[in-house]
Amino acid sequence: MGTERRRIGLKIFRMGNRSKRLLVIGLDCATPQFVFGPERFELPNLARLMSEGCWGPMQTCHPPITVPAWAVMMSSKDPGTLGVYGFRNRADYSYNGMTTANAAAIKEPRLWDILSQHGKKSVVLAVPQTYPVKPVNGWLVGGFLTPDTKTAYTYPKSLKTELEREVGEYIIDVKDFRTEDRHGLLKRIYALMENRFAQAEYLIRTRPWDFFMMVEMGVDRLHHAFWRFTDPSHPLFEPDNEFRAVIRDYYQAVDRRIGNLLQHVDEDTAILVVSDHGARAMHGGVCLNEWLMRQGYLVLQETLEGRKRIEDCSIDWSRTRAWGSGGYYGRIFFNVEGREPNGVVPAASYEAFRSKMIEEIEGMKGPDGSLLGNKVYRPQELYANVRGIAPDLFVYFGNLAWRSVGSVGFSDVFTFENDTGPDDADHDFHGIFILRDASARTGKVYPVVNILDIAPTLLDILGVPIPSDMQGRVLQ
Amino acid sequence: MARGTALRLRGEFREDTAKALAQRLIELGKGAEIFDDALVSRLGPAAGLACRLLVRNGVFVVIVSEHVEPDCECKCIALDPHDTPDFAAEKILDMLAHENLVSIESHDYSPDEEEEIRRRLADIGYIE
Repeated sequence: MGTERRRIGLKIFRMGNRSKRLLVIGLDCATPQFVFGPERFELPNLARLMSEGCWGPMQTCHPPITVPAWAVMMSSKDPGTLGVYGFRNRADYSYNGMTTANAAAIKEPRLWDILSQHGKKSVVLAVPQTYPVKPVNGWLVGGFLTPDTKTAYTYPKSLKTELEREVGEYIIDVKDFRTEDRHGLLKRIYALMENRFAQAEYLIRTRPWDFFMMVEMGVDRLHHAFWRFTDPSHPLFEPDNEFRAVIRDYYQAVDRRIGNLLQHVDEDTAILVVSDHGARAMHGGVCLNEWLMRQGYLVLQETLEGRKRIEDCSIDWSRTRAWGSGGYYGRIFFNVEGREPNGVVPAASYEAFRSKMIEEIEGMKGPDGSLLGNKVYRPQELYANVRGIAPDLFVYFGNLAWRSVGSVGFSDVFTFENDTGPDDADHDFHGIFILRDASARTGKVYPVVNILDIAPTLLDILGVPIPSDMQGRVLQ
Repeated sequence: MARGTALRLRGEFREDTAKALAQRLIELGKGAEIFDDALVSRLGPAAGLACRLLVRNGVFVVIVSEHVEPDCECKCIALDPHDTPDFAAEKILDMLAHENLVSIESHDYSPDEEEEIRRRLADIGYIE
């Protein structure tokens, strides 16, 4: 979409009745089936916002992962334009140059940067990829990529002391996540959520903000830890288990805290409740590097005795054409002649090799002999730009019903256990979007909202000019 | 010796901004002095000369008093009333960095922090 068209669109679609202030409540991984679907939970505060505003499922980015999704949402730039393809990205074409994509990786302005330029004051609380903290016209608390509470995780620095004094220690994330002690884990997930809303309530009362954004990570942690106990479609679901209502209860607790937070805002405040992606049952794992080895694409120099991270293996690069990394989605990197230090895939046959690999992965059959339904994408077909070093392929096993296991040393390509501990859910492409503002959008139910459209819509609500290079447009 | 400079701040929150700016300059290893009405009154007619001497010795002089004319070159900065004092101070630092008068620190992970984050992301399941 060209710049000119966006500008014209702005004139046509300006929704009028701008709000003085804007509150964004981010719920990482909050998923449409529990909020909008026929079996939705009773969530009175979210239901009220839906009835007073507009709502719909939100189509997230590729990959549908916290990093880069929140940065995509707040910049209206796709991951390729941001040059961020997941939590860990290749810094160079070496074999081990992976670095974490923290705030320093985001070179494009996000909403609060733009608002700062226009004299609007922001509170930014625990939004992913905000550590190391950068100056903002307002107050910022670094997100869960903050390494430790000993670090300077707030802007300004003095805010850290104040928050710790007034609210208590900052709980960055859930500790000891991989555990069979579900009761203990549940307590820690609640503690994380309560801590975040307590910080939010303190900041919303004490700061003169125009834009306030918080992100609560507990929903995501809850899904991964407890999905099997709620979803009858999960292979490990057992009726009448003691955790059957855990996810519902947690959503309702979050809804109550949202209700408390909303008591601090007036009718002139626009409110957005949004998630970065959804969730679905995880049926198992596909051992990506095991598969590559069996296909002859990846060759080790060692005989494996037990499971091992691929990064810790000795790889025969002279005979390796591709290797992968795991997580909720798979990434495949090619060992290309003239690009990687010991590349073997001729540059001239790169595209042919890539097409062959796509065909093979999409043709993969699952343990029951039927097609797994894998989706494989070239970055160039997903993004307007491909900056930095993208993987050569993105892989969604079973279209995200199966996770990608990067480790090697398994007896099969498919696994139903997770060697790092229990994990029940994978991510899904649709998150939630609920917006209440004084505009012509009120009453609309969108079939789908694009993640790229959120930042321009929010700028429009606040009456701030929309940068011409934003890739989304104002929601009608 | 590194250069100092004199900065005159104008605007509603100039005193708070001066404090934030001086604090940040000190964090960056620079000398900083705030010339407010109290100090200017104590220095009397020598206040302008004091500015020049401090600047010559690498100090950043932040002037918020209207009762002194520094005896040296001085940048006049009109503060945006919508900016918090901390953010206004950061804008001034950006300007000083652009003129190579200060070098703003960049924070990133130490190798230990990078490993801690990698381990945490693997623990949660984001990477493997």
